[in-house]
Amino acid sequence: MEFLVWLESTSIANAIRTIPWLYPAFETGHYIGLSLLVGGIMLIDLRVLGMARGLPLKSMIGMLPFVWVGFAINVLTGSLLFIYGATSFGTNAAFLVKMGFLVLAGLNALAFDLSVRRSGGAWVAADRPPPSAKGFATLSLFFWLCVVTTGRWMAYI
Amino acid sequence: MGFLEWLQGTWVGVLVAESLWGYPLLETIHSIGMAMMIGSLGLINLRVLGYKPDLPLLDMQQLLPLAWVGFTLNAISGTLLFTSDAVYFFSKYTFRIKMVLIVLGGINAALLGRRVFRAAAAGAPAAPPASGTKWIAITSLVFWIGAVCAGRLIAYAP
Repeated sequence: MEFLVWLESTSIANAIRTIPWLYPAFETGHYIGLSLLVGGIMLIDLRVLGMARGLPLKSMIGMLPFVWVGFAINVLTGSLLFIYGATSFGTNAAFLVKMGFLVLAGLNALAFDLSVRRSGGAWVAADRPPPSAKGFATLSLFFWLCVVTTGRWMAYI
Repeated sequence: MGFLEWLQGTWVGVLVAESLWGYPLLETIHSIGMAMMIGSLGLINLRVLGYKPDLPLLDMQQLLPLAWVGFTLNAISGTLLFTSDAVYFFSKYTFRIKMVLIVLGGINAALLGRRVFRAAAAGAPAAPPASGTKWIAITSLVFWIGAVCAGRLIAYAP
């Protein structure tokens, strides 16, 4: 709690409080990042699950840098928004659940990556995702939907 | 009594405004629909601009159903959110700008579909997009990202 109070008293937090357009600007950036991140991941997951077979699986998975840009935008804007309201966000149940889902989504992405690496990219090149990869893709869709949902719910809890 | 007052007095408008779950649930759906639409349309537009040339241009239309699902989710959730406080939303310039940007984005998407995808259906070989087509893709990205910004700012700006 002391840490949260300290965060809220930093000059960054004060700047966000005093410059009128900063908070809405970061929130808007967070939505654009969300579109890139979740939009991109959704396309990759759905492609692994069999949507849009005309688009090579390898190229779709190669879209990950696009997703990473969205992730970077949201870590940055999310951290700034958090610093501004650290004591209220840090104790918000929806926020804590969101962070939990974020960790799960990350671990799941790691498991997916491991599955690609262990096969030496074979199933990607052959466009034959094993059931485990399809499981990771389904979980990924679920976890990211939960991240968005709990994030949106922070304003109401 | 005007149309907007009537709308927010209907049982739908009252339900969305007063129920505990209605508004946040619709907002969540609106965020997810946004990600679907911007993700798929964004990738199609970026592909037209030359990003990821290993994705076959004509097959990019296989992403259109996802864009339509996102659009439908957002048209429905957006309309319902609007009914909860119709007079307030319609009075906002940010809301009006967002609506104009969506119309422009829609016209752009239709133009892009004609230029890039319909020629393929007629059996024409896949040619690299002309510079006019690339401008449609650039303005499309501007319109849709603009719509996201204007939408988020409804809560803060006049």
